Amino acid sequence: MHGILEPLQYGFIQRALLASVLVGVSCSLLGVYVVLRRISNIGHALTHSALPGIVIAFMLGANLFLGALIAVLWTALMIGFLAKEDKVYEDTATGMMPTVMFALGVLLISSTKSYRDMSSMLFGNILGITSGDLVLISVIAIVIVAVLVLGHKEFQLFCVDKDYAKTIGINVETMRYVLLVLLSLSVVAGIQATGAILTNALLIVPTAAARLVTDRLIPLMLTAVGMTVVCCVAGVYCSYYFSLSSGASIVFCCGLCFAICWIIRLCKTKRM
Amino acid sequence: MKRFYISYCHHRHSAPKPDAPALWLENLSASYDSGHNPALKNVSLTIPRGSSTALVGPNGAGKSTLFKVAANLLKPSSGRVKIFGQALGACHQRVVYLPQRSSIDWQFPLSVLDLVLTGRYVFLGWLRSLDKKDHKKAWEALKELSIENLAQRQISQLSGGQQQRVLIARALVQDADLLLLDEPLNAVDAQTREIVQNVLTHLKTEGKTTLVATHYFNKEEGLYDAAVYLKDGEICTVS
Repeated sequence: MHGILEPLQYGFIQRALLASVLVGVSCSLLGVYVVLRRISNIGHALTHSALPGIVIAFMLGANLFLGALIAVLWTALMIGFLAKEDKVYEDTATGMMPTVMFALGVLLISSTKSYRDMSSMLFGNILGITSGDLVLISVIAIVIVAVLVLGHKEFQLFCVDKDYAKTIGINVETMRYVLLVLLSLSVVAGIQATGAILTNALLIVPTAAARLVTDRLIPLMLTAVGMTVVCCVAGVYCSYYFSLSSGASIVFCCGLCFAICWIIRLCKTKRM
Repeated sequence: MKRFYISYCHHRHSAPKPDAPALWLENLSASYDSGHNPALKNVSLTIPRGSSTALVGPNGAGKSTLFKVAANLLKPSSGRVKIFGQALGACHQRVVYLPQRSSIDWQFPLSVLDLVLTGRYVFLGWLRSLDKKDHKKAWEALKELSIENLAQRQISQLSGGQQQRVLIARALVQDADLLLLDEPLNAVDAQTREIVQNVLTHLKTEGKTTLVATHYFNKEEGLYDAAVYLKDGEICTVS
């Protein structure tokens, strides 16, 4: 018990735990729609697109997360816009935009001649989260959860039968953009926890793991959220006790959860 | 007391015009590639209220395209469409489109009952949840299609015939006056065929208007009042 309570006396650990749980809940809830719509690459696309925004903000001396948010939102809206064109498939736009944005980021980094200052953005440093960051993450989490809860039935219909949604008057294009904007917000929040490179794991791995043990939507969401919360807390503790990278610890815990769920499914299938 | 309702659609719901036909098309053309290869060419058609019409034609004849235009899924490149005398979208609660099975993501983790209940969403709009009345309607439709025993089954575990019945059940719970059914009898087992035929007969006795796309038309079955034959996007015969 002492081992669990001891880190909690530090403010930075309390902030890290709260932030990781909020990021985990928003990412895993959105992740359900990402995995079920089979657009898992969108997370990679958006996280990698943050780089030029971060670098430009760094060069201008502006808020780095604001820079990341603008770059990610721009990419999300461009993916949505390009995919409307018949000759550009959604996965093509999703594959193209991040590589161009990432290349722009690398070009800008080489012009600043410094890699050091961007490392926490790329690999995450949840133990360094400030109260201001926590407020931003909380607002993002509240917005995401509120939109997903209030629009649950419409998002569900949008995923399972887009045409029917359209015939009853739902604007499916708007739904797609809303999902992309929410993903952008979650990615920006996730960058603070696990970094730009690893945030995609928070979107995909918990849902992929939960999908192995349940076939129903609400239990799937709850399992994914529960698993993410456990992984985020475990990751923060591992990071504290073993001086490991916080982002990598959280993602590795998610990977372990997936492996456990996979073994559970394997045992169940063999028993049947 | 007036129920809280935020419509999905910015169009105002308009009441059907008295004596207007269920569906009226005038010189309608539509295509999937900005008009280069029209899938429908100058189609004019009137479907009277309460009628049951077969839309007959081979693959690529334009049957599904006609339905997509009437269901407001595809914008016509030219021509006019009226549903119960109103513009497209103004009466969308009164029109239901039964798509071909391939347009649904059957791997989505949803039960049969949940999918059928989506047919009630049009009456709920944003922010409102399903209530007892919606569930009652859904169970009635499941019983009519003889699939109440599948209510809690995942849609990923259904056979082709069962999938078709689930989609028809969803169309029924919408309680629409005009039903656009895209090949409901295509590639289904004998039991499903019989059940669907009974549903079509029942809809006719209830005074609903049905337009059914089919490859095959048999006058002897007595399911339809009229048949419209489509070929290469054009109407070739009306009988």
